[in-house]
Amino acid sequence: MSIEQQYRTRAKELLASGEVKMVIGYGPGSTADRRRPLFITSPEECDRFVLDSACITNLSGYLVTEGLLSDGKRVAVFLRPEGVRALNVLAAEAQLDPDQIVIIGFDAPKGELKALQGSTVDDFTYLLAALKDVTPEIAGEQLLEKIEKMSPEERFAFWQQEFSKCIKCYACRQACPMCYCRRCIVDSNQPQWVNTSSHTLGNFEWNIVRAFHLSGRCVECGNCDRACPVNIPLRLINRKMAQEVLDSFNHFAGTSKTQEPVLASFKKDDSETFIL
Amino acid sequence: MSEPFEPKITAFVCTYCTYAGADLAGTSRLKYAPNVRIIRLPCTGRISPMFILKALQKGADGILISGCHPGDCHFTHGNYHARRRWMVFRALLSFSGIPEERIKYSWISAAEGLKFADLINSITEDIRKLGPFDQYHQLIEETQAQASL
Amino acid sequence: MTKILFTDKLESCVERWRSAGMTVIGPVQRANSSVYDAVKSASELDLNLVLADRSIKELFFPQSEPMLRYTITKSEINTSDFKAPSGPRIIFGARACDASGLAIDDPLFGWDYKDEYWFQRRNETVIVTIACTKADEFCMCTSLKLAPDSTKGSDILLRPLENNKGWLVEELTDRGREAFKAVADLLQEGSDPAAATVNVPVKFDADACAEWLKNPENFDSRFWKEISVRCIGCGSCTYLCPTCHCFDIQDEGGSFDGIRRKNWDSCSFALFTMHTSGHNPRATQSARWRQRIMHKFNYFPGKFSANSCSGCGRCTRECPVDMGITETLQEISKLSQ
Repeated sequence: MSIEQQYRTRAKELLASGEVKMVIGYGPGSTADRRRPLFITSPEECDRFVLDSACITNLSGYLVTEGLLSDGKRVAVFLRPEGVRALNVLAAEAQLDPDQIVIIGFDAPKGELKALQGSTVDDFTYLLAALKDVTPEIAGEQLLEKIEKMSPEERFAFWQQEFSKCIKCYACRQACPMCYCRRCIVDSNQPQWVNTSSHTLGNFEWNIVRAFHLSGRCVECGNCDRACPVNIPLRLINRKMAQEVLDSFNHFAGTSKTQEPVLASFKKDDSETFIL
Repeated sequence: MSEPFEPKITAFVCTYCTYAGADLAGTSRLKYAPNVRIIRLPCTGRISPMFILKALQKGADGILISGCHPGDCHFTHGNYHARRRWMVFRALLSFSGIPEERIKYSWISAAEGLKFADLINSITEDIRKLGPFDQYHQLIEETQAQASL
Repeated sequence: MTKILFTDKLESCVERWRSAGMTVIGPVQRANSSVYDAVKSASELDLNLVLADRSIKELFFPQSEPMLRYTITKSEINTSDFKAPSGPRIIFGARACDASGLAIDDPLFGWDYKDEYWFQRRNETVIVTIACTKADEFCMCTSLKLAPDSTKGSDILLRPLENNKGWLVEELTDRGREAFKAVADLLQEGSDPAAATVNVPVKFDADACAEWLKNPENFDSRFWKEISVRCIGCGSCTYLCPTCHCFDIQDEGGSFDGIRRKNWDSCSFALFTMHTSGHNPRATQSARWRQRIMHKFNYFPGKFSANSCSGCGRCTRECPVDMGITETLQEISKLSQ
């Protein structure tokens, strides 16, 4: 039996037994290579689920939809390892109760679909801890190296050009499972820290704020990067910041549901070489 | 002859240590560069990265962030939290092309009036050598102009 | 015999227009994204795109436009206006859907208050549209009763030649004729056949959809929630749309001086309708999506007798969760049968 078939059956059983009220997975998209989020509440409809290597979107963000979990009932969700990490971060930040989530785990390294055993975040602890030592490949890694070698002026010019394209549609924010704030700092105007206008300065500020708020929390699922309609390489910023918190604080976001958020904790002997 | 470049420097300081240090510099009649505008906050833990962005948005050429030495925080660990945040924010700014030399961090206690005065003088000289933050100022100027097309 | 602009003469045309003081604008690649921007040479143009990532709307209605500068002193408040940049422009290589989008928005911007920023640019811009010989699976102009060679909103229509060596020139307006007079000697008479325009299949019945949307019973249909449950509430569909025109007025600056700006806004955002009290009359994402569809295919045509959609398909093409107008109207077509 294919993994897809196996998981359809599992979704069906979960719904039929009343263990979960909803299964969030993937359905066919508008073109042959697209998949879209699919929300199923009745066992008869579970055959609509699709599972293959094209199922990339991290669905964990839907779990913090207002009101979804407030009735105490459980929800099942198809997640890749990054999705499970995101779920851990959300749990660690008290955004949801991980006991209400049933994980249907899968991964597709190098395009080959495989099932991941386990249904609670704790079942994945071993797998996630191992991920810490493997830096996954991202598109444009050479570009990242190139940017790091640039002079500050060149780097500024590079990002200036990239951010000048930004139209502030906030797709990066909306697609991100970690951007759950009821009111984003850029939507607040008392005080208004960042320019809301989408001129290059405003775009620059927005992108710095976004990247900073995700530092130490980002699981590099790539939702923001794929969502960007003007192809700003957000993954490079995310990678840079993930690497920074790993190097500086040995922190790898989302390894457990009780992990201390890196910027809400400290060690007395944290590095301070830069402080005069 | 054009006027020499006078850098604009914004200093975000905690009230218990660095601000008291600045006060001591004043009462001790220590002279230091007048290029710095001091903004007093309850604790370095209260210094949000948003403040740094705001200072840049308003045309700062350099920024100083300063508070109590580790272990001395009035709120016991505000500066420890701040230190982690700076570490990360600093890396981000640097990656975005905002030169590290323009944003300085220091620990200055209430007793270190001399350190404060010396630091302000040296930072002012450093930023003076770097020159105005033209790249950022250009972004600000764009916001003051009519649409490009 | 018709006039033909051969590809190898395009560079001379660009030079000619530029030396006549015109800003030449066309589809270009800017850091992995295609956009309409000013060019110095025809070699910068990317005319092989099905459609640029971003529409030509932003050349008339930019994402952020300064309107006035204010300074407040003890005794008085001073303001000075910003104008739209002036001077003739020519957009070479627009698509029919984008050009139609401008014509759709004209009555809106000229309805009660005549938007000077929009109309100044409209009056000073010549739009040279190239008929499409290729499309992708998201194109849907024909479903909106437009076509890959619609002339709506264009000043010149170019039809690519079958041999791909140039374009047949159809002059549509006086403004277009005027701009092409300057390059008259670079055009040649010829009888080369034009390539067939691309066949874009009709994907939904817009009239049937309009009827369904007009029925007040359907306002509270469960359909809205079902179709939009995956919507994440970003503004990419509205900002890329060649007809979406909502904006917000923002004062940027300090208490004593600053600039009032006109910025794009999107009905997809919760903040769009949020009251100061915290109450939001459009409380859910499904209500916001319903508003977008209703506005485009019910309220707008009710007022201006045209759908506020030209079928470019960008909403679906760029949607992070694979939604868009096409699917919604296809589903409504089914419901209305």
